[in-house]
Amino acid sequence: MSLTAALGLLAVLLLAPALPGIANRVKSVVTGRRGAPVLQLYADLWKSWRKGAVYSPTTTILFRLGPVVMVCTALLAAGLLPLDGTTSPIRFTGDLVAFAGLLALGRFMLVLSALDTGSSFEGMGASREVTFAVFAEPALILCFTVFVVATGDLRLQGMLGQPLTHTWVATAPSLLLGAASLFIVSLAETNRVPIDDPLTHLELTMVHEVMVLDHSGPDLALILYASALKMALFGSLVVRVLVAAAAVSTPMALGLLLIGLVVYAMAVGVVESVMARLRMNHVPQLLVGASATAGFGLILLLR
Amino acid sequence: MILFASGLGLILLGGLAAFGLDRRPALADRVFQWSAVAGCLLALAPALSLLFGGGRWIGGPVDSIPAGPDALFGIDLLSAWFLPVVLGVGGTIVAYGVPYLRPERGHRRVGLAHLVLAVLLVALSGVVTARTIVAFLASWEVMAVAAWLLMIFEHEKRETWDAGMVYLVLTHACTLALIGMFAVWRGGLADWRFAQLTPSASSGPVATGLILSLGLIGFGIKAGAFPFHFWLPGAHAAAPSHVSALLSGIMLKVGIYGLCRMIALLGPPPAWWGWIVLLMGLASSVLGVLWALAQHDLKRLLAYHSVENIGIILMGLGLGALGTAYHQPALALLGVAGALLHTLNHALFKSLLFLGAGAVVRETGHREIDHLGGLGRPMPRTAFAFLIGSIAIVGLPPLNGFVSEWWIFRGLLGAGLASGGLRAAVVMAVGLALTGALALACFSKLFGVVFLGTPRDESAGPRAPAESDLIGPQAALAASCVVIGVAPGLIAPSVARIAGLILSQPEGGATLGALGSALPLSLLSAVLVLLIGLGWLARRWTLVRRLRRSSTTWACGYARATGRMQYTASSYASPLLAAFGPVSGIRQVRTQASFHTRAIEPVLDLLGRPLWSRVVAAAVRLRPLQAGTMRWYLLYAILCLLGLLLYLQFAGLP
Repeated sequence: MSLTAALGLLAVLLLAPALPGIANRVKSVVTGRRGAPVLQLYADLWKSWRKGAVYSPTTTILFRLGPVVMVCTALLAAGLLPLDGTTSPIRFTGDLVAFAGLLALGRFMLVLSALDTGSSFEGMGASREVTFAVFAEPALILCFTVFVVATGDLRLQGMLGQPLTHTWVATAPSLLLGAASLFIVSLAETNRVPIDDPLTHLELTMVHEVMVLDHSGPDLALILYASALKMALFGSLVVRVLVAAAAVSTPMALGLLLIGLVVYAMAVGVVESVMARLRMNHVPQLLVGASATAGFGLILLLR
Repeated sequence: MILFASGLGLILLGGLAAFGLDRRPALADRVFQWSAVAGCLLALAPALSLLFGGGRWIGGPVDSIPAGPDALFGIDLLSAWFLPVVLGVGGTIVAYGVPYLRPERGHRRVGLAHLVLAVLLVALSGVVTARTIVAFLASWEVMAVAAWLLMIFEHEKRETWDAGMVYLVLTHACTLALIGMFAVWRGGLADWRFAQLTPSASSGPVATGLILSLGLIGFGIKAGAFPFHFWLPGAHAAAPSHVSALLSGIMLKVGIYGLCRMIALLGPPPAWWGWIVLLMGLASSVLGVLWALAQHDLKRLLAYHSVENIGIILMGLGLGALGTAYHQPALALLGVAGALLHTLNHALFKSLLFLGAGAVVRETGHREIDHLGGLGRPMPRTAFAFLIGSIAIVGLPPLNGFVSEWWIFRGLLGAGLASGGLRAAVVMAVGLALTGALALACFSKLFGVVFLGTPRDESAGPRAPAESDLIGPQAALAASCVVIGVAPGLIAPSVARIAGLILSQPEGGATLGALGSALPLSLLSAVLVLLIGLGWLARRWTLVRRLRRSSTTWACGYARATGRMQYTASSYASPLLAAFGPVSGIRQVRTQASFHTRAIEPVLDLLGRPLWSRVVAAAVRLRPLQAGTMRWYLLYAILCLLGLLLYLQFAGLP
């Protein structure tokens, strides 16, 4: 593993909790409020991690295991990404499938830990989570397919790294369509508006939040961190595709990625400010639309 | 071969003992269990030595037993790959079946059921080792009928009998297609050996096309691929649970074996056949899992997942055919290797899930999951095994389902980099991703509703503790899932070699090796397990000095939530099924105070049954022909004789 790759991983792991803060701050500013500090989530994480926990007698070990697995799969998935634009710490042919598989494992265990409480609210949240995932996951694979076909490389390191830079000009329309689709998928995977509203306070309208109602203390801290990390991961995917347009040195690429992540979080905040959440039954349509966008990109490449 | 034959003999003897000693149930059970398991292991030995030792353990490096082609039965590498599916998984099923059926003693013929099970295992072994057409078809028919007998074990139930009849009709349609296939293939040759069924034996592309189509229909029916799957859910749900495991886990796989054997003998199939298989696979996998999601009968749900997994296997095989036709041997190998490994994997985790379902049914007396809940407490070991099976079947790392799907994914994505018509196959990767996501939804529903939360219906509370005498076989299957998932490198070389054999690429093993070993997956699994362990310890460590309290589950401040208020399987799947609209195969039933969904079998209910009633109506018109008087029948016989004579006259005597 090169030094920059290690640095990139470290930077993303450390900076991830700032991203939701940036998005929320942008939203506050646009809507004319002052809002919470950008670094609020760090304080929340520290507070929750040091607290005790409350467990329902209904729950089993799965309830406690879910958050741990979610964090660990997200960490490992981060290791698969070429954050410095050159090398992934872990790389092998077909690792893009492992990326999707790891995140799916995290989701599966979190959903089970929600169902473990026996609460109808958490059942509701779990049901919505898997419903949206059914449409988000094929869209993600379709986006990956676009990059695979564009670069001819079945590794994340190649399809988001230097080979992408070399092919960028020739395949720009497809890549832009793929990036747009990936942005929508990232909103769904990280539970942001217009798919889910992280700031809602009514159980009936929540998706991700209602799944974790019963988690408290360190368990909640793990979930909060994993969510922030997932946002950083999907943000990195989108940003890597876009910044690959510029052929720069490895440290520069890492710097561009970090700047890009901030811009990505601001973009998420802007989206949240200008539109409301979609009705639940319209979310699949949005995600199928995202798939279709990526599909057009793929057709442009295959023609 | 002696080992193999004596192993099968031991299984049969055990079955006869179980039948003969019906008066002394305890002894019969013990004799059957031990001799059948020992027989399975004994018969498995030559296959394993071929797979892993290159035949060296049984005297000299060979690739088939016996070495020559002049035998009724024999084991080559392809047979050796399917024998662990039949006998390895079969052994665990027998070991489970004996305690599972024990409560039925007294009011059912349990000894007879054990005998039929033994016959079925032997017949299945015969199918995958047959070296001649007659031996193959004979074993096939014994298998089909034995499976039917086991299926209607509870024959006084109307639905069981119905499902059995649908199966019986379909399985004979399947045999008919296979007889037709062999008839075309063999042509006028007087030789019944498979070794003679070489590409040259068939004449021209038309005959080859006919053979491939009939084979796909025949083996497709047996494998339960869409659109021939409709006999499967009812039949597998109606059978006793260990038999369901055998039908879903093992018997469907002989259809896959047939397809592999056909391709191996006939030579690489043309591209159109590959596209059909690929599309059939796609339809089976997506529709199978979607219809599984609509079920809330525990065993029907699992049965529909077999349709899904057969679809994934067919996608691999279709990719194999296409890769060969478009001169992409590496992709073809990935596809077929993925299909072969998924065959074994599905046998392991589907049997595991059905055995777990059997334990649930024994414990609660319910198959309807909307009445269940919270079973993780009374039966934690079953729940753990079922969780392993669920993660494996969804295709998540680090278990075995992920490995085979990863290969097929790589093959499909690689197709996008090829040139020519093959590129379009890359879109199928999205179908595979959709299947995976739907399977995740389905198994989170199943596991969550059955094992987590609290019981939804107090009457479904514990009846007879079923866990302790049924857990052993499940543990063995779960362990196999973990081993293959964490260390796929153990069997990857054998799989690659056999895939090369099927595709007539002798250097296949080396090519797949060059594509990259399965080692990265082992590393990934190791890191994942390590991380989870560390995370768990960190969480424990921070909680050591903190206050841990117990309080009721949050229900918006309502403190008297009951089990009935939980989300049910119907409500869990409802938004997803609504998004798929009319293809989702459910009917919603709403009244003022209740909501439930009723799942239908779209192909059987909307197409099969109406068609069947037309056929019956047409057949009624033919009824006068069967008048029941002897002179009419004599007339028919004479007319038939005349017809044959005329045929010989005009066709020319041979």
